[in-house]
Amino acid sequence: MKSGLPGRHWQDKDGLHIDVRSLSPPQPMVAILGQLDQPDQQGPVTVHHDREPIYLYPELAERGWTWKLVAGEIGEVRLILSRPS
Amino acid sequence: MSFGASFLGGANSRLLPVSIPLRFFLLGLVFQAAGWAVLLTNAADLAGFNGGLGPVLAAVHLLTLGVLTMTAMGASYQFLPIVTRQALMRFWPARLSFWLVAAGVIILAYAMARLWPFGLDLGAGLVAAGLLIFVILTGDNLRRASGVPVVAAHGWLALVALSAVVIAGFLLISDFRSGGLGDHQAVAIFHMVLAIFGFMGLFAVGFSYILVPMFALAHVDISRAAWAQFLLSVFAIIGFLLGVQTHRGPLMIASASAGFIAAAIYIWAMWTSLRAGMRKRLGVSFLLIRVSWGFLLVGVFLGGAMVANVPVPNTPALFGFVVLVGWLLTFLMGVLQRIMPFLASMHITDKTGKPPLLSSLTPKRPLLVHAAFHFLAVGLVSVGIVVNSAILIRFGAASGLVAVAAFAVFSGHILVQLRKR
Repeated sequence: MKSGLPGRHWQDKDGLHIDVRSLSPPQPMVAILGQLDQPDQQGPVTVHHDREPIYLYPELAERGWTWKLVAGEIGEVRLILSRPS
Repeated sequence: MSFGASFLGGANSRLLPVSIPLRFFLLGLVFQAAGWAVLLTNAADLAGFNGGLGPVLAAVHLLTLGVLTMTAMGASYQFLPIVTRQALMRFWPARLSFWLVAAGVIILAYAMARLWPFGLDLGAGLVAAGLLIFVILTGDNLRRASGVPVVAAHGWLALVALSAVVIAGFLLISDFRSGGLGDHQAVAIFHMVLAIFGFMGLFAVGFSYILVPMFALAHVDISRAAWAQFLLSVFAIIGFLLGVQTHRGPLMIASASAGFIAAAIYIWAMWTSLRAGMRKRLGVSFLLIRVSWGFLLVGVFLGGAMVANVPVPNTPALFGFVVLVGWLLTFLMGVLQRIMPFLASMHITDKTGKPPLLSSLTPKRPLLVHAAFHFLAVGLVSVGIVVNSAILIRFGAASGLVAVAAFAVFSGHILVQLRKR
């Protein structure tokens, strides 16, 4: 986990969580990609967002990550990011 | 991977059909080629240009309205709903604004080149109608925006400036046709300064505060610098215009100095973002963007030199070319080559449902050729203006055409990918 990035992040049983709700653009993308670009980051990573991050998808694809939208809290968009081995 | 579930907060409504922004970008490319072609065939008129109807004024408006405004409209329709988290009211007005401005620019540029009074009125009327739609759509989006105050402030002021530019444009056209305007030169300077620094400049600078940190993946707080730059820019623009209208040289020089400091603060903020960015390899697009910032400083310096009567040969034409082509067009082409593959990738998927890689949508060779010939064009035409050489300007314009052709190859590659998938 890299500190100094925007948003809240914490480690849970199911991997790293990043909460970027309430951040204004482009900070959510910076927060998420900053974590994914760490050499030891293999995923899965759970992202808590307040909107579907459509601009993030091309960057995820470029890095070889896949994403899945899952149900979250009301008003939350939750994604599970993983890197196929 | 799944897209578009209904609980996702309306992301799809914020994603425009790709045809809307692309039509603005691609027609902008056609107008850019037309602008270089007009310059190629009228190279002898450029160095001494100091306003007035004719082919050079037509080329200027092909660039300002046809390329810079067209592209700003497309980018604004695409990105503002994402940045402000507010969907565009409707799609059809955006399409209508495209057709109005497109037809208006063609008629207006032809009328300027051929001294056709009715064409001036008709072309300007169509452009104004299209821009009015743009102002309403963008203003409505900004009105509902929150969380990006400095970007919204730039956007609001740009829209106010655009409205004033249009009104001044009508006054100038009316004066060309029937006279009656007291000080044509002062209104022309008002129109030009507000168009360059008020509308297009503030739009480009405002978007930079989102796009540059996004491209560089930078987490750094530059909001204080951005506000300082914004306030200084407002002072510089208003002070300069007041100085022009009241013929007060010291006020104009003080305002140009404020503008230079504002530009320096903006560039410092951008460099700070790039230094803090996690992505260091930003490619040829950021070569263009960095060079454009240099031309911004040179342009504002030339503007100040002009009002201070510093003897630089053919300063009006040089100033106009440096800010419009050296700064704004170079910046815009750098940004376009980043956002066009992005846009395309969000609208196409391969057999497995994945979007294509950005790198597969960004052929490098055409972009390198574009950058080389674009820089050659800027250099040759600038020197040609200073030494009053039509041949250098002609070679520069030809280089500009080659640059546009290279960018068309890049755009064509993206279009083919869009059609294939």
